[in-house]
Amino acid sequence: MPPAMRRRQFLKAGAGVLAAGFPLRAAAAARRAKARVAVVGGGYAGATAAKYLRMLDPAIEVVLVEPNEAFVSCPLSNLVIGGFRTMAYITREYGTLASRHGVRLVRDRATAVDMDRRQVRLARGDAIAFDRVIVAPGIDFMWEELPAMNDAEARRKVLHAWKAGPQTAALRAQLEAMPNGGVLAISIPELPYRCPPAPYERACQAAAYFKAAKPRSKVLILDANGDVTSEAALFKKAWSELYAGMIEYRPDCRAVDVDVRTRTVKLELEEVRGDVLNVLPPMKAGGIAEPFVTVNKRWCEIDWLSYESTVARGAHLVGDALLPAPVMPKSAHMANEHGKTCAAAVVALLNGEPPNPAPTLTSTCYSFVSDKLAVHVASVHKYDTRERTMKPVPGAGGVSPSMNPQEARHAHDWARNIWSDALA
Amino acid sequence: MSPRATGAAALALAIAGAGVSYARQSHSPDPAFATPNLSERGVRSLAAGCAACHGTDGRPAKGSSAAALAGRGREAMRTRLLAFKRGAIPATVMGQIAAGYSDAEITAIAGYYSKQRR
Repeated sequence: MPPAMRRRQFLKAGAGVLAAGFPLRAAAAARRAKARVAVVGGGYAGATAAKYLRMLDPAIEVVLVEPNEAFVSCPLSNLVIGGFRTMAYITREYGTLASRHGVRLVRDRATAVDMDRRQVRLARGDAIAFDRVIVAPGIDFMWEELPAMNDAEARRKVLHAWKAGPQTAALRAQLEAMPNGGVLAISIPELPYRCPPAPYERACQAAAYFKAAKPRSKVLILDANGDVTSEAALFKKAWSELYAGMIEYRPDCRAVDVDVRTRTVKLELEEVRGDVLNVLPPMKAGGIAEPFVTVNKRWCEIDWLSYESTVARGAHLVGDALLPAPVMPKSAHMANEHGKTCAAAVVALLNGEPPNPAPTLTSTCYSFVSDKLAVHVASVHKYDTRERTMKPVPGAGGVSPSMNPQEARHAHDWARNIWSDALA
Repeated sequence: MSPRATGAAALALAIAGAGVSYARQSHSPDPAFATPNLSERGVRSLAAGCAACHGTDGRPAKGSSAAALAGRGREAMRTRLLAFKRGAIPATVMGQIAAGYSDAEITAIAGYYSKQRR
């Protein structure tokens, strides 16, 4: 049996190939592959890395391991919660990564990244051997910080909806079922957490829905931080001008537990009841990245030129799992930038060359303050040779002068383009 | 505090994605940024930064009204980006992003996209 056939059957038998067809172009490339890179996780960072690896060097074989059938975007998912967009709008297929770029899609859950054997172990299929691995696990939740939430029933009732998917639709359904006059309580953990402005955007979206459909209802924001963590002036203006009397903001309110039966958020000094609770637990790197976690049992450190783990050669990390560089947001845009910068570094290393010594990363994060108005925060980050980290470029970046309809259109354009940049 | 540092501190507050302690440590002393990499591969990486908003290799996705960069004239694109950087063209995000690149980087990015097929 020729090697390509063996590999093909191995993947089919072991892991279940997502895409129906296996393009000849990719099969030909695999036969003369100079190396195999496994990418664990198909979110903004991982999917982008897989695509750019193949674009930059088609002689490298790329296997993307992702348990979900389709990509569901966290950006714009608050519009689903507000009732202004559908789940279908924020859902995209993975198939083009295979058909156009020759990425091998393995729909399975990675259970371990074994750096001694250089393989990714899977829940169902056979392990995938690699020369280098890119781990893009996103975030997991620190449930131990909220004791009552260590229970399957509790987690079905009190939602985070902080990984777009079934919970997004479920939270929307809870808001629809909530009576007029009810209270949605949103609990925000201390920084760093995934997408700083998103909880405040969510408050806007829920309020926009309430204003139209159940105007006596309210949104209560319980923020563990001392103030709104991103675009504070813009959000506060939106709350007072668009949703007067509907959104109450309470800083320095850290949730320590939840009473699911009475729908109560327990703070350090008091208890607050709501009709719908949306509790965002403290976050950490996705569990599969555990061998690479170096900071506070939460985050992974890397070399910002190669994206290689500081504790494991040959393992690269990208996206929300990283200990952020100074003022670097855990945004989808930033994850996409990590993905392509890491891909270029891995390609360089596999070709015996050094990674780019001067990487630049940008991030633009749009937030919808209503269905038709949006704001943004943007930043540009460059490599600092003295401190070996990425730093924001002084004088670049910033926020919107005010909420405006033009940026709502830009945000939808941005989504179409970044989805395409990551997946097509 | 120099105006530069004040601007940086304001930006740190605005983004604050990584927490206040990071924001504090990040602006003193002034950053020692690496010399821009204007090799062919360096420019390709630099230009890849535009793709999230303008499409891979400057070809926007269907249904998007973002500017198509692929195959645009080098000089026209360079002039426009430098004008964004100076704030001479009204913009929401583009001026803030363009301000993060040196004139030489902008020239190189314009050169890269002028050579991409439409």
